[in-house]
Amino acid sequence: MRVRLLIANRGEIAVRIARACRDLGISPVAVFSDADRAALHVRLSDHAVGIGPAPARESYLVPEKLIDAAKRTGASLVHPGFGFLAENAAFARAVRDAGLVWVGPDPESIAAMGSKTESRARMQAAGVPIVPGMTAPAKDPAEIAAFGREHGFPLLLKAAAGGGGKGMRVVRGEEEIPAAFERARSEARSFFADEAVYCELYVERPRHVEVQVLGDRTGRVVALGERECSLQRRHQKVLEECPSPVVTPELRARMEESAVAAARSVDYVSAGTVEFLLAPDGRFFFLEMNTRIQVEHPVTEMVYGVDLVAEMIRIARGEPMSVAARPEPRGHALECRIYAEDPAHGFAPSPGTIQRLRWPQGPGVRVDSGVEEGDVIPLDYDPMVAKVVTHGRDRDEALRRMRRALREARIDGIETSIPFFLSLLEDADVLSANVSTQFLESFTFEPPAPSADAEEIGLVAAAVAAARASLALRGASQPRPPSAWRTARPTYGHRE
Amino acid sequence: MKYRARLSGPAGERTVEVEVQLDPAGVVVTLDGRPARWDVVPTPGGGASLLSADGRQAEAVPGRTAEGAILVRVGAERVALELLDELTARAQAVAGTGAARGSGDVKAAIPGRVLRLLVAPGDEVRRGQPVVVLEAMKMENEVRAPRDGVVASVEVAAGQPVGAGQLLLRLEPVG
Repeated sequence: MRVRLLIANRGEIAVRIARACRDLGISPVAVFSDADRAALHVRLSDHAVGIGPAPARESYLVPEKLIDAAKRTGASLVHPGFGFLAENAAFARAVRDAGLVWVGPDPESIAAMGSKTESRARMQAAGVPIVPGMTAPAKDPAEIAAFGREHGFPLLLKAAAGGGGKGMRVVRGEEEIPAAFERARSEARSFFADEAVYCELYVERPRHVEVQVLGDRTGRVVALGERECSLQRRHQKVLEECPSPVVTPELRARMEESAVAAARSVDYVSAGTVEFLLAPDGRFFFLEMNTRIQVEHPVTEMVYGVDLVAEMIRIARGEPMSVAARPEPRGHALECRIYAEDPAHGFAPSPGTIQRLRWPQGPGVRVDSGVEEGDVIPLDYDPMVAKVVTHGRDRDEALRRMRRALREARIDGIETSIPFFLSLLEDADVLSANVSTQFLESFTFEPPAPSADAEEIGLVAAAVAAARASLALRGASQPRPPSAWRTARPTYGHRE
Repeated sequence: MKYRARLSGPAGERTVEVEVQLDPAGVVVTLDGRPARWDVVPTPGGGASLLSADGRQAEAVPGRTAEGAILVRVGAERVALELLDELTARAQAVAGTGAARGSGDVKAAIPGRVLRLLVAPGDEVRRGQPVVVLEAMKMENEVRAPRDGVVASVEVAAGQPVGAGQLLLRLEPVG
C-alpha cells in the first residue's frame, strides 16, 4: 500500500500539502467539515473523511476526530499545515502517542516556543536578542500598568497562546489598559480557548524580518535566508518578499546565526520560522518562533529553489533534508495574500460564490489557491482565498510581474484585496521599500477614479446588456436566466 | 432604447444620456449625442468583450456596489453607475431624486454573530460611532451609525447570529 498522509487542514495550505505528497509519491488524505465537503482540497485527495460541523471548534480543531480519520484511512503521517492545531503541542503528542508520524517539530519544541513567555526566557539564555517584555501572563490590568511605568509606552498586549495577530492590542497610555485588556482576553478566549495575555515593549517603526530554518534528525539545522513581512494590516501580513530589500549580506549572516541558535536551543526538527523585529538602527530582536510551515513560505521556495513542505515530509520520515550545504539565493520573490474582503468598504469580509475565476499565469508567476470557479467562500474560516507569488531576476522584475499578474486575475462574485494591492504597488515608499510594520496604519486605500476610457466602456457594456435583456424579454416566451447586468436588485453573492 | 446613466465617482455624480440601437449589422451606442459603433461579445461568466470601431478592446464584468448600483469592472478599473430607462428617469425627475435619503435602520452588511451591543434604547449616537460589534471570519467588525440620532430600538441580542442585511437597531432623529 502506498504511504498515506493525513492533511489536518483545509483551503490553500491543504492543497499545497496534497501537491507535496503527490511529488513524493505519497497518497494525500483530506478531512472536511460540513462546509467543505466538495472543496478543492478534498477533490485533490485520494481519501477524505468528514469530521463534523462547519465551526472549526467542532471539526478542524478536534484532535480525536483527526486522529480517528488517520486511523480509519490507514494514513501513517499527519501534516497540520498552519493555523488550527498546527502549533498545538498536545495534538502533536496525541498524534505521536497514536503511533502516527507528526510532520513537524517535536511536541517538546512546540511547547517550548508556543509559550511566548517561556520562549523568551530560552532565547535570552541562548544569546538571542529579545525585546523587553513580561515573562509570565498578566493577572490583571494593574500588572500591565506597572510594566508600562517601568519600561515606557507604547505596549503591545498579546494572547499567550496566540499568533497571526489575533488577540493583539496596542496600548499607548495607561488609561487605555483596562478596555484593551478585556478585549484582548475576549479575543484570546474565542480564538485560542485560552484567555492568558501578556505585554511587551512596542518598538516603533520596526521592520518585520524573519528567517526560515530547517532542521533534520541528523542534527543539521540550516537557515534559508530571510523574508520581509513589514506590510501588515491589523498585525496580519499582507505582502511578503524574499530577500528583504534592506538586509545586507553581513546582517543576513548575523540574523541567520541567531535563528539557528534559537532553533538549536529547542532541538528543532522540521521547517520553522524565527521572527525578528528589525529596528531602524539595524538592531534586531527575537519576536517569536513559528513552529510550523508559514503562509509566506513560497517566496523562500522561489528564491532558494527548495520545496519546504516536501522537506518537512522527508524529515518526518527520518530522512536527511535534501538541501545543499549553503543554498544560494536566486533573484527576488513577492507574495500577495488575496483575501475575500472589500478594500473599498473598510476591508469588510466578502463571503459568497466565486462566479468566475481566472488566475494569472506566465513567466515567474505562482498561484497557491484553495478555490475554484463556482466555489463558495464560507464565513466560518480565514478569508484568505489564494496567494499570488511572483519571481524575477531582481525586485523590480518581481514587482512588474506582480502588477501584471494581479491585473490578469479575475475573481467575480466576491470582493477581494486585489485593488488594494494594485494601489499599494504604485506607492513610492513601497516601491523603494521605505516601510515599517506601521506603514499600513497610515496608508489609506482610495478606490482609484476610473479613466474616461473605462467609463465609456462601462457605460456601453451596461447599456447594451440592458437593451439586449429587454429585447429578449419582449421576444421570449420562456423566462431567461437572470443576468448580472440587470437593473434589478442583486441576489446574494453580489455584495449588498 | 434610451437610458439615463448616472456615473458616480470620487469627483461626484455625472449624468449621461445613452441610446442603444441593436441591429443585425452591429451595435451603435450614442453617448450624449455622439454615436459610435461597438462589437459586444458575451464572455464566460457574464462579462463581455467590447471592441470599438477604432480597435480598442476591453473586457467588462458586471457586479454591484454596496449601495446596489451597477459596478462594471473594466480590466483593473471600476466604474460605478446607475442605469435608468426612460420611464424611470422621468418618474424620478418628477418626484425629485431621493438618492441621499438617510435611513434610520442600522443593518448588518455581512453575515456574522453579534459579539457586543455598544448602545441601548434612548442612547444618543453620532454618525460614524460604533454601535454593534459583529464577529465574522475570525475578526471583530464594528458596525457604525449611518447618521446622528437616538436609538429607538435594538433588534438583536449579544451572541445571536445575523444574516446580511438583517436589521440590528433603529435610530430616530434627535429631539
